Amino acid sequence: MMEIVQKSSPHLRRPNARVIRMMRDVAIALMPLVVFAIYSHGLSALWILLAAVGSMVVTEYVYYVIQDKINDGKFQLNNPSFSLYNYSVIVSGLIYGLILPDKIPIQVVIIGGVVGVLLAKLIFGGLGQNIFNIAGFARIFAALSFGAMLGYSNHVDADAGATVLGVLAQNPFSDGVLENYSLWTMFSGLGMPGSIGETSALLILVGGLYMFLRKSFDVYVPLVVMGTVAVLSAAVMLATDGVGWWFVGTQLFSGGLMFGAVYMATDPITIPVTRPGRIYFAFGVGLLTFVIRLFGTYPEGVVFAIVIMNMFVPAIDYAKWSKNTFSLKSGLIFGAVAVISVIGVVVGASYVG
Amino acid sequence: MISKAKRVSDYKQLTKQLPSVRYVDPEFVYLTLMNNRCTDYTLEVEEGDSVKVGEILGEKCGSFFETPVYSTVSGTVEGVVKKLDQNGLEVDCLKIRNNFKDETHESITDRPDAFIKAMSKEDIVDIVKEKALVGLGGAAFPSYIKLNTDEAIHTVVINAVECEPYLSSDYRLIMDQPEQIFKGLIYIMQTVSAPKGVIAVKKTKKALIEVLERECERYKDYDIKIAKVKDYYPQGWENATFKEAVGIKVPVGELPMKYGLLGFNVSTCASIYEAIKHNMPITKRYLTINGDAVNFPQDIRVRVGTSIRELIKLCDGYKEDINKLEVIIGGPMMGVALPSDDAIVTETTTSVLILKSTEYKEEPCVRCGSCVYSCPVDITPVSIMNAVKRNDKKSVELLEANKCIECGLCAYVCTSKIHVTDYVRKGKNLIG
Ligand code: SF4
Ligand code: SF4
Repeated sequence: MMEIVQKSSPHLRRPNARVIRMMRDVAIALMPLVVFAIYSHGLSALWILLAAVGSMVVTEYVYYVIQDKINDGKFQLNNPSFSLYNYSVIVSGLIYGLILPDKIPIQVVIIGGVVGVLLAKLIFGGLGQNIFNIAGFARIFAALSFGAMLGYSNHVDADAGATVLGVLAQNPFSDGVLENYSLWTMFSGLGMPGSIGETSALLILVGGLYMFLRKSFDVYVPLVVMGTVAVLSAAVMLATDGVGWWFVGTQLFSGGLMFGAVYMATDPITIPVTRPGRIYFAFGVGLLTFVIRLFGTYPEGVVFAIVIMNMFVPAIDYAKWSKNTFSLKSGLIFGAVAVISVIGVVVGASYVG
Repeated sequence: MISKAKRVSDYKQLTKQLPSVRYVDPEFVYLTLMNNRCTDYTLEVEEGDSVKVGEILGEKCGSFFETPVYSTVSGTVEGVVKKLDQNGLEVDCLKIRNNFKDETHESITDRPDAFIKAMSKEDIVDIVKEKALVGLGGAAFPSYIKLNTDEAIHTVVINAVECEPYLSSDYRLIMDQPEQIFKGLIYIMQTVSAPKGVIAVKKTKKALIEVLERECERYKDYDIKIAKVKDYYPQGWENATFKEAVGIKVPVGELPMKYGLLGFNVSTCASIYEAIKHNMPITKRYLTINGDAVNFPQDIRVRVGTSIRELIKLCDGYKEDINKLEVIIGGPMMGVALPSDDAIVTETTTSVLILKSTEYKEEPCVRCGSCVYSCPVDITPVSIMNAVKRNDKKSVELLEANKCIECGLCAYVCTSKIHVTDYVRKGKNLIG
């Protein structure tokens, strides 16, 4: 029987706009890193990844089973809140796993995953409602509560036991790092110590390129994050004697900066919605990462930087100035902030060195 | 997908090149006696009276103005019936039986060119007002008000962009009657003393450009240019056309006249020509019937007042295997869905689309930002949606929901298939 239905306009939808397509693309873009992690770290990487993904998926599943019990009884697998079907919880789990160091005990992975997904996502109302990057939050939770247990193994030279940033944290301007690791090693990730998945800048670029071609992430974000770090480190380099261009390279290719910029700072749910807002956010991530690395003791600044910047998202998106266009005023303010930051970092760095 | 929507894609696989236009003379026409501005009417004819094309039948009365109702056929009056108009409102219509003689009323006489040249602004405005001409692009804004502007106009822009997908009625009009458009444009330029005229068409419509450029040769004395604009949606939105065609950015919510610009849709321009040259009201128009749920989509030239149900029959009816469909007046992005097909073609009906109704599965918003990137007026639909959900009037105001032109892009692009446009509409209502 033919029936005429009345709906409000528009009467068309964009064919490729689907959450599942976007999330699946992120998962696909992560695959080279997963393979590389298992290749270079062996089975332990596999267990870490399985524990990371598994703990998040199971927690979400149990959470919605319980919630549906409380509400009206029956849990349905196609419950739209249960984000397994659109890969989003898998993506969180994979990212979380890939930023963990290889010697981490499995129970720490699981506790981080469970608490991370519960505190960062579910209590906020599930998919789309979370404020913090889930993987980043889980990673920080794991790191803070089990700091002692987190440690890196260097399978090239176990005794060295230091990551590039570990070395840099003691003396940020020592080119001693280069004796152990060449820039190519850092870029390709071959034989690099560090978290299991974030060591190969090359593969991260490949993943990023894929997502860019599929329009599944906002390419401005990683560009601005990397650009900010590049400019800041170049400024510091120029202002400090005896520091060469290698400094910029080590800043860009180490410590998961690229991983964070490409996979974490682009998570649309936890970043602003406007293009200018995203650029401010990305700038903030780059700046904070650099500052944490330079002045702090915690070398993996990028995860912290992202989670800290997540807190500023509501402020960036505040109704009064949330616009998708740059105005002269916002451009001037942003330019001024950028210049002050560079000067501040350079002056600050002279005390560190 | 996180990106701006530039084109509205054709995934419903609608026919782009429709069979050439044909003319239909219906047995009955139904002429609307009311609209959303005029809720009352007076009649000057009774049942059984015989009428001619262009004869005044009565008047629509509104709180601001009266508009005469003209007959579009010759024949006999059969009384008042209820039909749906282009907005899906049920209105009273005068039913007239066509005698197929096409006799024109004695008031329909040509004005000599020399006479027209000597006419003043007031004369032309009066004719346009008397012939009840309105914007035929869909807005139905009375044309005489625009012509009567006091601002100094430097450029008259004729909008032939027709940016909504699947519509080709303006295209047909230009192909068939380019000289009407040029002459109409010249009359408008004369009325508002504008030195320049611009006709904006899509770059991709090669055939149209060729026709217009050849025609342009004939009017060398006038400063008329053809502006080729990019094929984006919503390029036909007046402000976008102005920006591309003449390079002037008119802020949303301000009148283009303030910036020396006056815009008319091509069909409106042609209707102004008809009114001034032949003293003829709008009696016929080009109409596109298209969609994935109709058997034989085509372009038709019809009398104003023709029943849409009859026209669909003429297109071999609805496809059989479809159980839910939408009948839409206008384009797929901004058109109005009708509650039934018992509607009539009014002078502002550009097209009838018959689309298979698709159920979209909504997911939670992932804040992808596509709606923000796509919005032509640079507001943030997702934030407006969230504010509307919280019933937060202040934020809706701060987010300038009132700027929305209801282009539909935010819902079109939404990654989560949320009807964002509806939320923005609610926001607009919220702040009144
Ligand atoms: S419908 Fe309104 S809010 Fe949505 S994209 Fe168009 S103008 Fe912007
Ligand atoms: S409303 Fe839709 S398009 Fe807009 S941010 Fe949310 S998911 Fe993306």
